Amino acid sequence: MLIAINASDPRPIYHQIMDEIRRALVVGTIAPEDPLPSVRQLAGELRINPNTVQQAYRELEREGVVHVKRGLGTYVSDLLSQRSERQELARSLATRALREAHRHGLSVDELVEAVRQAASEEERRHGETTP
Amino acid sequence: MIEELFQAFEDRPAAVRARGLRKRFGEQTALAGLEMTVPKGAVYVLVGPNGAGKTTTLRALLDLTVMDGGTAEVFDLPCVERGAQARAQIGYVPDSQEFPYVELTVDALLAHHAAYYPGWDESYAAELGRKMAIDGGKRYGGLSKGEARRVQLVQALAHRPSLLLMDEPTDGLDPLAQDRFQALLADHLADTPTTVLISTHRVHEVEGLGDCLGVLRDGRLVAQVERDLLERRLVRVRAEVPEQWAASALSVPVVRRGGRGREIAWTVWSETEEAAAAFTAAGATVRQVERLNLEEATRALLAMEEAP
Repeated sequence: MLIAINASDPRPIYHQIMDEIRRALVVGTIAPEDPLPSVRQLAGELRINPNTVQQAYRELEREGVVHVKRGLGTYVSDLLSQRSERQELARSLATRALREAHRHGLSVDELVEAVRQAASEEERRHGETTP
Repeated sequence: MIEELFQAFEDRPAAVRARGLRKRFGEQTALAGLEMTVPKGAVYVLVGPNGAGKTTTLRALLDLTVMDGGTAEVFDLPCVERGAQARAQIGYVPDSQEFPYVELTVDALLAHHAAYYPGWDESYAAELGRKMAIDGGKRYGGLSKGEARRVQLVQALAHRPSLLLMDEPTDGLDPLAQDRFQALLADHLADTPTTVLISTHRVHEVEGLGDCLGVLRDGRLVAQVERDLLERRLVRVRAEVPEQWAASALSVPVVRRGGRGREIAWTVWSETEEAAAAFTAAGATVRQVERLNLEEATRALLAMEEAP
């Protein structure tokens, strides 16, 4: 699992960490019952305040995504379904795209239409390069 | 002035408390009645233009500069009357390029320094020295600015002080050493409960570490605020406004105006929804309301308009 944060991202750092862990769950680089990196490890790696890592882990625990095993660390919970995480991740991405569209004076319909169009173009291009 | 921009932190235990600190150097006023509280456990980033009084503030806590008035306390110990006890709990990275022991080797200098601190952790000092790539055999007086800085960081951290005072700690460090310093500080904070007061011009270097911001201007704090609150309430609104727009109708306090013509980007003190509603009500078309990172927040607060 690779957790990447960006200082110029409009989301607060703890929020970025939460989204990154959700992303790792969805793409499958971490699975239920896997341990998260320790607070010390992640804080040192990302050069951030350990309290920020703790805040992210605390919020994820509150949402039931992870749980704390006393004295052992924080582990990914065995969610009944990973679907809600996919939905949550998709919603977070969609919200960011919507805000960006609004800043550029675009309507929701224009954005959705453009996403469809871009996706089909990507597909076509991908089809051409794949033998 | 926006009152909420100055949090007094009266409900929390304080590591540092300055009350009405005043200091003049000849015609120059360094501190003009400084009120500052650093909550215990905070990583407090102190910013301000050159000559705003940052170094004088740190030196007052160490009783290295005699104040003209006011009091300072470190963990409830008065910094003047109980100076030795207060200093024993402080790790200090000074700003000045003083080389008091130029003839000593780095190892000898560290041994000399260690003798003053009962809490000096020999193995931790060695580990820090390795991480900061320090050559103990070199003569202290022959070190480059960056090398001397790294030695000073080891001196400040190795006795695991309860309070760390750092005056422009990354000044003179190359990018690799800066990065190592940030990792080292993050590790240190995870292992050792420490309150940190960092004065710096380079806020982006402590972007991930700072959780409290103090903005010093003309010897006074114009803002003292937690990062959580900044993230919630300091927002930049991008909007289009009609010709001859009358901003007087705006119901939220403005920190900084920006943009040009009909396209504006104003930083205001307000929650996101409230800010959008206020600009809309004032006749603007809101395009985006965004959170500021610590460095952007610092720039906005340094340029903050004085209350009329």
